[in-house]
Amino acid sequence: MEAIKTKIEVTEKERLPVVSEREAVFEARDLAVYYGDQRAIDGVNLDIYQRLITAIIGPSGCGKSTFLRTLNRMNDLVPAARLTGQLRYRGIDLYGPGVDAVEVRRRVGMVFQKPNPFHSSIYDNVAYGLRILGMKKDLDERVEKALRAAALWDEVKDRLKDSALGLSGGQQQRLCIARAIAVEPEVVLFDEPASALDPISTSAIEDLMHELKRDYTLVIVTHNMQQAARVADMTAFFGLDVSPDGNRQGVLVEYDETEKIFTNPSDKRTEGYVTGRFG
Amino acid sequence: MRELYTSELEELEALLRDEGKLVDRAIRGALNVLERDDLELADELIAFDDEIDSRYLAIEQRIPSLLARQTPVAGELRLVLAILYINLHLERIADYCVTVAKLAKLAHGLPRDRAVLEALEEMGERCREMLGTGLEYFYARDFTDSQALIEMDRPIDRANRKLIDRLIALGPDESQREWAMRMMLASRCLERIGDHAVDIGEQAAYLVRGRFEEFTDASHKPPRATT
Repeated sequence: MEAIKTKIEVTEKERLPVVSEREAVFEARDLAVYYGDQRAIDGVNLDIYQRLITAIIGPSGCGKSTFLRTLNRMNDLVPAARLTGQLRYRGIDLYGPGVDAVEVRRRVGMVFQKPNPFHSSIYDNVAYGLRILGMKKDLDERVEKALRAAALWDEVKDRLKDSALGLSGGQQQRLCIARAIAVEPEVVLFDEPASALDPISTSAIEDLMHELKRDYTLVIVTHNMQQAARVADMTAFFGLDVSPDGNRQGVLVEYDETEKIFTNPSDKRTEGYVTGRFG
Repeated sequence: MRELYTSELEELEALLRDEGKLVDRAIRGALNVLERDDLELADELIAFDDEIDSRYLAIEQRIPSLLARQTPVAGELRLVLAILYINLHLERIADYCVTVAKLAKLAHGLPRDRAVLEALEEMGERCREMLGTGLEYFYARDFTDSQALIEMDRPIDRANRKLIDRLIALGPDESQREWAMRMMLASRCLERIGDHAVDIGEQAAYLVRGRFEEFTDASHKPPRATT
C-alpha cells in the first residue's frame, strides 16, 4: 500500500501565499481621484502585494489607468488632478508632505502602451535613468544586467551603440522594460504593455513579466482579459458607477485571486464583464 | 459574436437534454427487457444506443471547438465543463443499459425468480428517479439538497444486497444458477447507473456553487447494513 501511495501522490498546484502572509506594498484607502470637478475613481480600497502580478481590468473609462498612475504619482503631471483618501506605499503616505515625486518614480517604474524609446542608442536608453540618478558606477554591468533581465541581451549585445529605433516593436517594449528596471525599482507598472504588439511579442512580454515577478512587484492594466487571466496572480475589476449627481466614476467592484475571478467571481458585474455579457 | 456564442451554449444544453431523455428511455427499456424476457426488445435497445451515441458525439465534438474559439470563463466555463462531464456520465449509463440487454439475452429461457425480478425493477426505478433529480438540479441551476441524491442511492445499495442474498439462496439447479449470475451482473449495472446519477448531481452542484465536491467518497462509504 505504501508503494502505491508514494507513486500516486498528487503534486500540490502552485498556490499564492495566503492573505495573512502577503506583504502589502501599496494600500489604497477610500481613494478618489478628480480631474477638475470630474470624479474619475471613488472609494477604492485595495492592497497590492509584494512580488505578485496584479491585473486591473474593466471597461473603458472605469479609471483603471487613473488608478495605476496614482501609484507612481504620474497624475501629478496633470494640472487639474487631485486626490482624496489615502495611498500608502510601504506604510508611507505617498501624497504626504515631503515625499519626493521623482524618488517615487524611481522606486515605482512604468512601462507604457506604445514603446517609447529615446532617440538614442540602445545602451544610452538603458543608461539614461542611471546617469540622471547618479548611479554611474559599474554602468556597463548595470546596463547588461537590465538588458538580461528584460530578455533582450542576446539580441542586442553586438549592437548596443545602434539606434534603439531600429529595434522591432516587441524589442523596443522590452528595451523600455530594461530602462524601467535599470534603476532598480521595487514596483513596475504596465499600462497596456502589449496592446500594440503582435502575438509572439506579446507572449515574450508575458513570459518576461512572469520572470520579473521573482524580484519585482508588478501591476498591469490590460483590456485583454485573457492576458490578465494568463499573467496575473490577483485581479481587480473596476466598473463604472453613476452617482446621484450624474457623475460617472470608476469603482472597484471585485478584487480576488485571478483564478477565482475567472472561474467563480462573486459579483454579478464581474461575471458579466469577464464573460462579455455585461450583467 | 456574443449572440453566436450564446446560441452555441444553448444548443449544447439542448443536445444534453435530448440525450438525457433518451437515456431515461434506455433505462426503462432495460427494465422492460428484464421483466418480459423479450429478445426482440433487447435487440431494439442495443440498437437504440446508437441514437444516444450520436448525441454524445455531437456534444463531445463541439466542446473543444467552443473552448478554442470562445474561451469561456466564470459561469460559462463551469457550464461547459459540467456539460462535458454529464455527457460522459449519460453515455456510460446508456452503455450499462446495453449490458443489461445483453445479459437478458444470455439469460433467455432460463428459469426465473419473481422476487429477484421485483428487486431489479425497484432498483431500476430508483435509478430513473435519481437521474431525473440529478438532471433537474442541472437544468434548474437550483441546487439545494445534496443529501437527497445520496438518500435515493441508499435503497439501491440495500436492494442490491437483498438481491444477492436471494440469488445465493436460489439453490443448486445449474440453469437457475446461470440465470442468477446474469442477474447479479445486471444488478451491478443498475447500481453503477445510480452512482453516475450522483455524479451528475455533483456537476450540477459545481455549476451552481463554483467549487467541486464529492457528495460521498466511494472509497470511504459508511458501512452498509447487512440485512
